[in-house]
Amino acid sequence: MLKTAQSSRQREDLALMAHLMRRAGFGATRDELDRRCAQGYQAAVEELLSPEQAAPIEEDVLRRYHVDQNSLMLIESCQAYWLYRIINTNAPLEEKMALFWHGLFATAYGKLNHAKAMVNQTNIFRRNGLGSFRTLLIELSRDPAMIFWLDNKDNHQGAPNENYGRELLELFSMGIGSYTEDDVKTCARAFTGWTINNAEYMSVRASRDSIWPHGRLDWQFVYRSDDHDDQDKTFLGHTGRFNGEDIVDIICLQPATAWFVASKLYQFFVSDAPDEDAIQLLAEEFQRTNGDIRAVMRTLFMADCFAADHVRLAKVKSPAELVGGTARLAGSHQFPEWSIVNLAMDVNFMGQEILNPPTVEGWHTGREWIDTGTLVERINSAALEMGDVTQPGVRNIIGRLQAVGAVLTPTEFVDGCLEATGQFEASSDTRAQLTRYAERLGNLHFDRKDSLPCTEQRVGGMLQMITATREYQLA
Amino acid sequence: MLTSATFHYSHTIGFQANQGRGFNNPVDVELDSSGILYVLNRAGSEVGIRLAYKRVTICSVDQEYLGEFGTGGTGNGEFWWPSSLAFDSRGRLYVADEALHRITIFDKDGQFLDQWGANGSRDGELNRPSYIAFDQEDNLYVADSLNHRIQKFGKDGLFLGKWGVPGDGPGQFNMPWGITIDVVGNLYVADWRNDRIQKFSPQGDFLAQWGSSGGIAGQLHRPSSVAVDTTGLLYVVDWGNERVQVISQDGETLAVLRGDSIDSRWAEEYFSANPDEARERRNADLEPNIKTQEEQSREESANIEKLLWGPTAVKLDSQGRIYIVDSCRHRLQIYQKVSHS
Repeated sequence: MLKTAQSSRQREDLALMAHLMRRAGFGATRDELDRRCAQGYQAAVEELLSPEQAAPIEEDVLRRYHVDQNSLMLIESCQAYWLYRIINTNAPLEEKMALFWHGLFATAYGKLNHAKAMVNQTNIFRRNGLGSFRTLLIELSRDPAMIFWLDNKDNHQGAPNENYGRELLELFSMGIGSYTEDDVKTCARAFTGWTINNAEYMSVRASRDSIWPHGRLDWQFVYRSDDHDDQDKTFLGHTGRFNGEDIVDIICLQPATAWFVASKLYQFFVSDAPDEDAIQLLAEEFQRTNGDIRAVMRTLFMADCFAADHVRLAKVKSPAELVGGTARLAGSHQFPEWSIVNLAMDVNFMGQEILNPPTVEGWHTGREWIDTGTLVERINSAALEMGDVTQPGVRNIIGRLQAVGAVLTPTEFVDGCLEATGQFEASSDTRAQLTRYAERLGNLHFDRKDSLPCTEQRVGGMLQMITATREYQLA
Repeated sequence: MLTSATFHYSHTIGFQANQGRGFNNPVDVELDSSGILYVLNRAGSEVGIRLAYKRVTICSVDQEYLGEFGTGGTGNGEFWWPSSLAFDSRGRLYVADEALHRITIFDKDGQFLDQWGANGSRDGELNRPSYIAFDQEDNLYVADSLNHRIQKFGKDGLFLGKWGVPGDGPGQFNMPWGITIDVVGNLYVADWRNDRIQKFSPQGDFLAQWGSSGGIAGQLHRPSSVAVDTTGLLYVVDWGNERVQVISQDGETLAVLRGDSIDSRWAEEYFSANPDEARERRNADLEPNIKTQEEQSREESANIEKLLWGPTAVKLDSQGRIYIVDSCRHRLQIYQKVSHS
C-alpha cells in the first residue's frame, strides 16, 4: 500500500484538477495540482480566468540569448518564442486562448512572409482572448496580418474585395447559412479603407524572400476615409451608412454568432462531439453578457458537461499541447536554451506549424492529429524529454517516488509514476502493461546507493513508457 | 571636466545577408590595429540550414567588404552562440561562445589556432561567457554571465583571478554582459539585470557605478555594453531602451543616440538592382507615428527603420568614431564625436 494513498474524494479532486489543467492549460506538475486542489476548483478556475494577475514571462532573458527571437524575423524563431511562452507562462489559459483564436482566425506566415506580424496578431489574442468578442473582432479587423492575409488592403471604395468580409461572416463569427451573398458584399463595402500603411511597398517586399536589407518592418493599420464607401448599406436587416465597427456590432447581436462561438469553444475545450444542450448554455451566457468570453469560459469550466467522465481523456492533444505540456512536466526549457528550436520543430513535424496553419480554416484536429508517422514523432519527442533524469521536473518525480519508500514493488512503482505525472485516470489495461514492464527488473530500489543511477534510469524509462500510453497522448 | 559633447551620425555599414557581404544579427565588432572591422554574426536560429550564417565578417569603415570566416557548429573553430570578439597585442582574434562556454582563438586571416574553456562554476570554468576584453598586459577579462562574476585569464587560458557574486550591491552582479577597459586599466561592467554600469580597479576593487532602472535620460534598462574614451566619457548601450547614452564620469547624460540610419552602400546597391522595390520604398512612410501601451521604444524600433533595434555592443576608434552594433537591423550605425567642452 502506497504511503501517499489518498481518499477517493481526494483522488477525484486531483483527477478533475488534472482534467481542468489539461484543457485550460498544458497540463500540470503534481506540485501544481496539489496547490490548485488546496485552493479549490472554483478558485483555480478564477485564477486561470485572471491572467493579468499572473507574473509575466521574463522576456528580457529570452531576447538576450536568442537574438533571433528579439528581431522575430524567422518563422521558426517565432514558433520557438511561442513554445517558450507555453512552457513558462504563469497564465496557461491566456496561451491556450491564444492557440484557440489562432486556430479559429487562422492566418498563415506563408502568404505574409512576415513572421513578427504573426506574433503581433497572437498578442491581440493574448490581450483580448478572454475579453469582449466585439473588441476582439474589431482588433482582428485592424490587424495588419489579417488585412494582408485576406486581402483587405485590396478592398477599395467602388472596387470591393470580398475576401475578408466573407470569412468574417463564414469562418470567424456566424457560420455559413446565417447570411446572404448581399450581406457579404455589404460587409466588404463597410471595411473599405481599412488597410495598412505602405501597402504597396509591403506587397513588393512580401513577394520575395531574398534579402530584406535591414530586416522586417512592422506593419501599421491605417484607416483611409477617402477610400471608404460611406454610402447607405443594408446588412442583416439593418440599414445605415455602416463602417466596420457598425458591422461588428450587428454581428455580435446575432444569435448565430453566440451559437457559433459557443460551439467552437465547446469543441476546443470540451469535446469533439457536439452537445446541443451544452452549447446552448454557453450561447446563452454569450448573449447575456454581450459576448464576454471570460464569462462564457467560466460557465464552461463550471458546467457539469465539462467535468463529465465521458469527455475526459477523450480529445487528442494537439502537437503544441503535447510538446509544451511535456516540457512543463519535465521542467525543461525553463531558461533560454538554443535547443528550444528543436522542440518547436517537433511540433511542426507532428503536423502543427503554429503561426503557419494550412488554410484559413485552420487545422483539422481531433483524431487527425495522429497517423502512423506523427504518432512516432509524438512518442519520441515526449520520451526524449521525460527520459532525461537531469531535468528538474523528472528529478521531482524521482524525489516523490523516494518519499514513497526505499523499496517499491512494481505496482507501487507504476502507481507512483502515474500519480506523479497527473495520470490519475489510467485504465486498468494501461496499468497492467506498465506493471508487466516494471516487473521485468523487479522491485525499484532506492536503498542501494551504488545502483542509484540505474534506479533513476529505470524511473526515466517508466516515464518514457507513460508518454507512449494512450492516456498520455489524450487530453 | 566635460560638460557637453556633440555627436553626429556618420554612416551605416551593412545589410542583412545570410552569407558573404553583409551581416546577420551581428552582436559585436572589433577593430584591428589598422582599423579593419571584424563583425561577429550570431545569426539564429540554430537549425541546420542556418548554421552557416554564423560567421565573422571583415570589412573597412569605408564599407569595403574584405571577406569572412567561420561557421556554425561545435567543432574546432566553429560557433554556436558567439558573443564577443577581442584582439590581443599580437593581433590574434579571440571569440567567446555562450553555448559552447569557450574561447576560440584565430589569426587575423581567420585560421583556427586554439580554444579553451569548460562549462562550470569552479575557478576558470565558464557559464555563458558574454563578453571579453584584453588589458594592456594581454590579460583577458571575461564576463562570466551566469556565474555572475568577472574572471581574469592569461591569454593562453590560465586562470588568474575572479571577483563578483550574485546580488545588487557594490561589486555584485546580476548577469553581467559587456565589459571594457580604460586607458589606465580600470574595468567597466554592464551589470545587465541590475540596470547599471560598475567600475573596478584592475584588481577588482569597486570604484563607482552609474545608472538606475528606467527609461528617462540617465536611467538604464538592461545595459548590454559600455565603452570609455580617452577623456573618460562612457558610451553605454542601453539595450532595453534601444539607445546609446553618453555619460560623463560624474553621471551627467551628455547625449542620447536613438539611431539615425540611412541606407548603407551595400543596401543602396541592393535597391539599385531592385528598382521596383526602390520605387515603392521612396513613396513609403518610413517614420510612422507609433503609439503603443507597452514597450514603446521596442515597438518604435520595430516600426521605424532608422532607429536602433536591439543594440548589443559599442566600440570606439582613435578618430572619435562610435561604432554601434545594431543587431536586429543587421548593421553598424557609426557616429562621430565632433566637439566637447
